[in-house]
Order: sequence, then C-alpha cells, then structure tokens
Amino acid sequence: MSAVGLQQELLEAAVTALPADELSAVREAAVASFAANGFPTTRHEDWKYTNLSAVAALSNTWLQNKADEPGAQAIAVDTAVTGQIDAHWITIRNGIIDPASLRKLDSLTQSGVTLARLAENVAKESIAVDDPLSAFNAALLRDGLRIRVANDSALDKPIGLLLIDDGSVAVTQIRILIEVGEHAKLRVVECSLSAGGDPQFANSVTQAVLCDNAALDFVRLQQRRKEHLSVNRFSARLERDAVLNYNNFDLGGELARNDIVADIVAAGASVNLRGLYLASGRQHIDNHTCVDHRVGPAKSTEEYRGILNGRARCVFNGKAIVHAGADGTDADQSNHNLLLSEKAEIDTKPELEIYADDVKCSHGATVGQLDKSALFYLRSRGLDKDEATQALTRAFASAILGKLAIEECHEYLATAMDEQLDALIDEE
Amino acid sequence: MNMLEIKNLKAGIGDTEILTGLSLTVKPGEVHAIMGPNGSGKSTLAQVLAGHEDFEVYDGTVEYMGKNLLELAPEERAREGVFLGFQYPVEIPGVNNTYLLKAAVNAKRRHQGLDEIDAFDFLKIARETMEMLDMDQSFLNRGVNEGFSGGEKKRNEILQMAILEPRLAILDETDSGLDIDALKAVANGINSMRDPERSIVLVTHYQRLLDYVEPDYVHVLSQGRIARSGDKSLALQLEEKGYDWIREAASA
Repeated sequence: MSAVGLQQELLEAAVTALPADELSAVREAAVASFAANGFPTTRHEDWKYTNLSAVAALSNTWLQNKADEPGAQAIAVDTAVTGQIDAHWITIRNGIIDPASLRKLDSLTQSGVTLARLAENVAKESIAVDDPLSAFNAALLRDGLRIRVANDSALDKPIGLLLIDDGSVAVTQIRILIEVGEHAKLRVVECSLSAGGDPQFANSVTQAVLCDNAALDFVRLQQRRKEHLSVNRFSARLERDAVLNYNNFDLGGELARNDIVADIVAAGASVNLRGLYLASGRQHIDNHTCVDHRVGPAKSTEEYRGILNGRARCVFNGKAIVHAGADGTDADQSNHNLLLSEKAEIDTKPELEIYADDVKCSHGATVGQLDKSALFYLRSRGLDKDEATQALTRAFASAILGKLAIEECHEYLATAMDEQLDALIDEE
Repeated sequence: MNMLEIKNLKAGIGDTEILTGLSLTVKPGEVHAIMGPNGSGKSTLAQVLAGHEDFEVYDGTVEYMGKNLLELAPEERAREGVFLGFQYPVEIPGVNNTYLLKAAVNAKRRHQGLDEIDAFDFLKIARETMEMLDMDQSFLNRGVNEGFSGGEKKRNEILQMAILEPRLAILDETDSGLDIDALKAVANGINSMRDPERSIVLVTHYQRLLDYVEPDYVHVLSQGRIARSGDKSLALQLEEKGYDWIREAASA
C-alpha cells in the first residue's frame, strides 16, 4: 500500500482559519513542529505494523472541507455507562468539554479537585508535543480538560470521562492534563464511544504528573464502533514513591493505536500497566508501551493480553529502559495472546534495554490457541463448543480483569467483555 | 434394554489401531470393572466412549440405551447421561468450579426440557456430596482443578458425577494416585451412586479399588480386546498372578 501523508498546506490553512482563542499560540507552535516530520509511515520502526494512511486520507478530506463544519448530523450515543459506573462524569464531545457536566462538579473543589477547560485558560508550555501525533493534536486543539488534585486530597469516587465522537466531526483532538499533588490520590475512568457509520478519527493525548507519594488509577475503556480510527497517547511522569495503575481495555474500533509512556524520575515509584484487547473482523489494535526507569529503586510491571479472531491484527511492543545508575530496578513485562483463527495475526515484542547493573528484569510473550484438552473436558460435561470457548476465553481475559485498578468499573467491564467475547466467538 | 452395547469396536489414533474388536454389554444397575496392563486400550475405550476427537473409530458399533452413541458430540453424550471420570482431570485456571458444575447441570436440564437448577438446591446437593467425599467447601470457589492435588482432582470428578447423576458412568483410573483415605472417600462416593437405573464402568489397573467397590463383572483387556471375563474372583486372580498369564492365554 502506498503511504498517504498528511498534506501540510491543508493543515496550515485550517489552523489559520480557526478563530483566535486561548489556544492560538499552542496551535501555531505545534503546526511548526508537526511540519518537521509529518505523520509517521511504516518505515518508521515504531509504526512498522500500523499504517496511518487511512487516518491521513480522512484528515486531508476533513481539513479541506472544514469550512463546512459542522457538516454531518450528530448521532445519539447510548451513554448507559454513566448510570452503571458510579463516578463524577464529565462529557467530552468531539474533543470539546461539555460545560454543563463540568459545572455540576464545581463542588469538588472542596475536596481539593479543580477541573478546568483549556479553552478558558492554558499555559502554552503545559501542552506537550512529544511526537508527530501529539503535535497534530496540539495543532488543531480547541479545548481540553485539566484535572488538578491538591496535596493530600482524594475523592470519594472516580472521575468519569465520557469521550463521545458523535459523528458530526470526522476528526477530533482530545487533550487531558492531570496533576496529582503530593500524597494525593485520583482515580479516573475513561470511556470512549462513537456513533454513526462514517469513518472518524480521534487523536487523544493524556498527560499526567504524579508528585511525591501521589497515586493515579486510570482505567480506559474503548468501545467505539467498527468504523472508528484512533490514536491514543498516555504519558505520565512519576516522582518519588508515586504509584500509577493504568488499565486499558480495547473492545472496539477499526484501528486503535495506544502509546503508553511512563517516566520514572525519582526513587520508589511504581508503574503497573495492564491491557486487554479483543479483536475480530479486520480490527487492528496496536499497543506500544515504554517505561523509562531513570532512577532506582523502582518497580514496573506490564501485562497485556489479547484474544483475536477473524483477520484481526494486533501488535504489542512493550519496552522498559533501565538507564545508567537506575540500580534496584525491578521490571517485568508479559504479553499473552489467544488466536482463535488461522488468519488472525499478532506481532509481539517485549523489549528490555538495560544500562544499569543491579536490576531484576524479565519479559515473556506467548501466542497460542485454545487448550484442546480443556475444551474436551468442558464439552464432556455438557457444555457446547461455544459455551466452552466462552468459558476458556473469559478465563484467559480474567487475568487482566481480575486486577482491575478501579473496582467501580468491574461489573460494567465484565459485562461489556462478555458481550464482546460472544460476538467475537460467533464470528467464523 | 441394554445400557451399553459395544460390538466389535475397532478404534485408534491415525493408523494405529488400539482397540481391535472389542465387545461388551452392560445392563442397567451393573458395575463392570475393566482391567488390563498398560497399553491394553483401557483409556482409549474410555475416551472413545466420551467422544474424544483424537480417536478414530474404524469399525464396530456402540449403542447407549438403544441409541448410536458414536454419532453424538461429546456434549450431547454428557447431556444424554454419559459421564467420563478423567484419569487426568484437566486444570482450567480462571474457570470457576461452581460455574462448571452449574453450567453442566443446566446444559443437561435444558436438554431434558427442565428449568435451570435452583441456586439453593444446587448448593444443598453440592454441600452434601462434598461432605460425603470429605472435600472442603472452598473447592467450590476455586478454578476447576487448579492447584488440586491428585486426590482432590479425583474427588472433584466424583463430585461432578454425583451432581450430574449420569445413567452411565465410566471412571477411568479414578483410583490411581490415591492414598488410602482418598481411595475410601472416592469408593464411598461411587457406592452411593449405585442404583438399579445406573451402570458404572470402572477402568482400573489395580485390584485395590475393587476391595471397596464390588463389581458384578470383571473383564480383562489385552491387545485391544476383552481376553477374559468373569466375576470379582477374576480380579483376585489377577492380583495374585499378574497380567502375564492372560496375555499368554490370549496369544495361545
């Protein structure tokens, strides 16, 4: 497939045409840095298996027609999730924060949590531009959310982020900034949904800073429609004794790429990244993780699991870099995959780069089919093949679900996962 | 009607014939012991009766209560009342023991046109059976056979059998690897299942289980077919003389 790139002049024209606002300076700077590289192609090592041509083509068309916006009709999305997971919900529609949902949470300031729209106030330097996609995000940024938790503060329940792409905008940029103060704790549930049968692309960037002894539990649940393309970047910086628990569940989307980056800059920090991807049809789900151990002792674990059917293609690239002097690092990563079809494909590559001496690091990856003897055992007890397959795949996935960072999501996620597994197994 | 009627069964894996023309008739209420040296085809017989796909049937017929058993899928056999107690019960981490028991019972009940089992009734039966088998109730909440000792796995098989109430139970070396207490508990479980409407086929290498579960008939398998049949005294003879004399008699 010949690579389609993003047309720089279209981007410049679109950005210039946007009305001046709080984020103008951010956008201008980002356009310049995007120009240096453009979209990555499959010749780029980190993008070897994930082709962004469809994203570039969709973006080019959208940038060209942007004058017509809003062109398409918004389509209602089933938001039952907000009733099923007990959280302080904020709606982010096509990348724009819903002011009413934000106002309802004004009282959280009393608990030390302040929520603010980037459209109303932003410091240019707070918007990170780490790679071409985050540059693209910043170049078209109109809004975003900042969550700040004051020192020694915590909420009674998680913050819920409901990300909706309602079909009225083909390309959306989402930016979330999180700062968890010293000895503070924050829990976030992010649920991404989409509507409509037209292709859409969402490019989201979440930046988190965890101060000394801060804790952040983040559960991301991606349940977008099959026509949806997304690139999602989550980066966190961890100070002394900070703890990050990040769970990612990719249950939907046509193409989903996640870049999870954790930067351990002080001793005692702990990073736990867990993910589950269920893919069928022609879904393409790519997880790239990178944990930078700059200082030791510190601990990181990465555990990703996937179940693939049809012609699904998934990628896992987990990297831990132990920098010189980061003695006492304990890094462990694993990736296990269950392939239910001969045409499904997984490219898995756990990587360790170690420049320190006193470290404990391990990694492992497996790719396999359903255990035939277990399947026969269950069938010999009267379960039919689908039921037995359901039980075994659910058991495989429960290794991730069982370590969910936020208990409030468990029931919703278990149900969503079961439904997705049912659909995935049915496909043959 | 016979519970099980096997005629001239020839089966194996690929081109390797393991059962070479085996015939056996089991009537309702009977307990049969099938004995024989390693490699005589005992486990193959058990697996073929349960419908394991690795085994091919080349010739012969198997009727279960007048139906052609060989054309049924493994799960259909189970729902019709055939139970295989595995020689090596499979560990399935992440699949809860209670889930399996309930799913199994309900699959059978649906097949019979009955409603799903009441949660209270289920627990009552499970608890009573576990008490009889001297099993800790925590087993209900563990993964299927996950981390179970050999004896615990075999007790779990008997628990499944007791809850599923099969018409025909085939127990493949249920006594192997058991200490005397576990053997007694398992035998106790098997004896409690004896019923004029139910038949039990014990596949075993050793005679010792038969001290506790008294069979009506004993058959000795050799080279893929039944070389000799008799009553329980045949088992004692085997214990005394070993299997060699059967083999010699069979090839003579």
